Amino acid sequence: MGIYEISLATLVGINIILALGLNMISGFCGQISLGHAAFYGIGAYTAAFMAKAGAPFPAAVLAGMVLAGLVGLAVGLTSLRVRHDFLAITTMGVGFLFLGVVRQQEILGGELGVSGIPSPGLEKTGYMVLVLILAAFFTAFSLWIKRSWMGFAFEAVADDEDTARVLTVDVAACKLTAFAMGTAMAGVAGGLYASFARFIMPDDFGFITSITVLSMVAVGGIGSVFGVIISTVILTLMPEFFRFISDYKLLLYGALLFGVMRFAPEGLAGFTRAVRKAGIRSAGKKEAAG
Amino acid sequence: MKPLLEVKNVTVRFGGVLALDDVSLEVRPGEFLSMIGPNGAGKTTLMRVVTGTVKPVSARIRLDGRDITMLPTHQRARLGLALTHQIVRPFRSMTLLDNVTLAAGHHRIGRVIRALTAVDRSAEREQARKYLELVGIAEAAEKSVLGRPLGVVKRLEVARALALEPKVLLLDEPLAGLNTAEAARLADTVAEINRGGLTVVMIEHNLGEVLRVSRRLAVLDNGRKIADGDPGAVMRDPAVRAAYLGKEYQDAAA
Amino acid sequence: MLFFELFVQGLIHGSMYAMIAVGLTLVYGLLRILHVAHAGLFALGGYLGLLITNATGSLALAMITSALIVGLGGMLVYRLCYQPILDRPPYVPLIASIGVFIAMEEVFRLVFGPYGLTYNHPHLQSQVTLLGLNLRGAEIGMVITAMVLLGGLSYLAQNTRIGIAWRATVDDPEIAESFGIDAVKVRYLNFFIGSGLAAVGGIFISLLSNLVEPTMGGVPAYKALAIIVLGGLGNVKGTLVASLALGVVEAFGTIYIGSYLDRDAIAFAFLIAVLMIRPQGLFTGR
Repeated sequence: MGIYEISLATLVGINIILALGLNMISGFCGQISLGHAAFYGIGAYTAAFMAKAGAPFPAAVLAGMVLAGLVGLAVGLTSLRVRHDFLAITTMGVGFLFLGVVRQQEILGGELGVSGIPSPGLEKTGYMVLVLILAAFFTAFSLWIKRSWMGFAFEAVADDEDTARVLTVDVAACKLTAFAMGTAMAGVAGGLYASFARFIMPDDFGFITSITVLSMVAVGGIGSVFGVIISTVILTLMPEFFRFISDYKLLLYGALLFGVMRFAPEGLAGFTRAVRKAGIRSAGKKEAAG
Repeated sequence: MKPLLEVKNVTVRFGGVLALDDVSLEVRPGEFLSMIGPNGAGKTTLMRVVTGTVKPVSARIRLDGRDITMLPTHQRARLGLALTHQIVRPFRSMTLLDNVTLAAGHHRIGRVIRALTAVDRSAEREQARKYLELVGIAEAAEKSVLGRPLGVVKRLEVARALALEPKVLLLDEPLAGLNTAEAARLADTVAEINRGGLTVVMIEHNLGEVLRVSRRLAVLDNGRKIADGDPGAVMRDPAVRAAYLGKEYQDAAA
Repeated sequence: MLFFELFVQGLIHGSMYAMIAVGLTLVYGLLRILHVAHAGLFALGGYLGLLITNATGSLALAMITSALIVGLGGMLVYRLCYQPILDRPPYVPLIASIGVFIAMEEVFRLVFGPYGLTYNHPHLQSQVTLLGLNLRGAEIGMVITAMVLLGGLSYLAQNTRIGIAWRATVDDPEIAESFGIDAVKVRYLNFFIGSGLAAVGGIFISLLSNLVEPTMGGVPAYKALAIIVLGGLGNVKGTLVASLALGVVEAFGTIYIGSYLDRDAIAFAFLIAVLMIRPQGLFTGR
């Protein structure tokens, strides 16, 4: 593996943690968020400043996770007040609010961002392995949550929160838990990114990033852990494969987002499900014929 | 006997409209109370005040001696209130079985940490299957709710409410939309459950079934309770007949 | 005096927001879609206006032509992007719309270059002193145009057959259809009018800054979304009030708390604060 492949693999791992975090909120619990990058940013900035202040790498990432999760909890409170499209726009606002605060504060690096973030103390391959292990951990965590009774209650909230209430589900607790867990995961991803890039800028955590993460979740099939992972790998690597047409990269990206929503709105997961069903059906026909 | 569900002085306004005007109702343990009245009389609103989805101007609600007036909906449900909706509200993304399993797991989703750490659903699935059998739709258990006929979904709502193991079962027009045979069957099932000891409050327009299965009848009209008592006596009450048959009847009687 | 000047600046900005946001809220009222690609049409209006003005020298011609073309473009967006996915959960059209918007921005960049275009002879740049304030012609023009167009629109909605049909469809599509109103035609009309208004807004903005660039739709897109949410989603009157209110809040905010938050963040802080107090927006219903 060359240095280029290693850094790509690291980035894929970070994005998987980030996307699975949003999948927790939007996929499992049905609360659409257009501001996920803000929590990614909170994790990154927190870890960056902690590391620059001399904190060891794990403590820096942990601090990023905790702070992102706490802010996420606060934003989760807004989801108790506003619903659906109102919530989507509110979370988008949270994203812009984060950017506005970071850009305007000299102490946070302003427009120029934060540079000279200390290395995590691992060489590149070791860091990649660490990131991929964490990605695997959060994958297992997501699968566990999905199977747990909390995940079951999330499903109910995503489907119809008023009915969930009548069935004893504490909707507020579900939403807050989903927001706290999902944004804490974004915080971890941010902390890992800060130590990986060693230079962060406000624009790394802007609206486009939020949309990119949302598209990873939506293209994968909202709520499907493996679908989200596959689409995250594809969407992270796609720009690299299409380097030769790098000028058309974003155009292609926009077209892909539209295309998937237009022709396969359930994403990759829905697509494979449909293919498998068709396969079973044709296999059944063959058996019947034979 | 001490009332199990005590609803006192419920007044509800929607905008300027008085939907319920100082309605009180007591339900004793083991009763089967049916509530009838013309459309717009306030029956559904009264139920929704009891479950906590409609905010009253004034009300006092006690369940099993405990004041639940200020509690949110999910806590009232935990204390033993189960409701089926007039317009069916199944979880459309789930199978029939999962709809009921979630309700059967009501004791598991109460605490965040416990709910996060528990994954085993087999016991609740078993129970859920029993409730589906009880209402007679067990053969469709693994099917998605989407595409099921109304009769099945109506019964699913009853099974789901029963799975909550409630103290009081509130049914909002459970028979509406069912054919005669289906309606009679579901009414029988509910009556049987009631004989088993569960307290039932049912809103229903199907007078035939109401008079056949319920043991007490309350009538709402125009936001007021106009009668309450033995079904036969209530149906002979001139005020009730007027509410049902309209003004001509009153004029003729006068 | 500063107070008054900020207030007027806020109203000027607000009238620009209004021209963009009314189209968005019309679409939301009818289809429950957050139509992000609307901002792409707004930018398209800016480009067409500038190109036509530079080619012919006539700003009026540019406005009318680009409003018509962009109006048709809006109908095309509806037909190609939204109509096939209307019955999907709301995030589907939302993400599709974001995809279309990103693609549109990229097309502008690829066709017209990344650095933007300027007017050969910018119109309406002369200073006018009004009520003791120095205002540019374009600023006054924008406010007057917004008032005329939106006023006219509201007159048409109240007093013409097609306007009444439109309002009936927004209130209840099924009942409207049972009265023989063609809901699909109403939708096309909706996209035509909304997009045309956005085009005019785009031209005025480009006059004010003498610049048209690929990303010019970005910020107004997000702000307009905030505005229609503030106005109560789908409520046209609410949207107008919210547009002006946001313009004024921004004007004061940049002066008094600008060192803590940038202009966009102020707008969204205002949005979040309002929604926490009134989760259904400033106005409810349609």
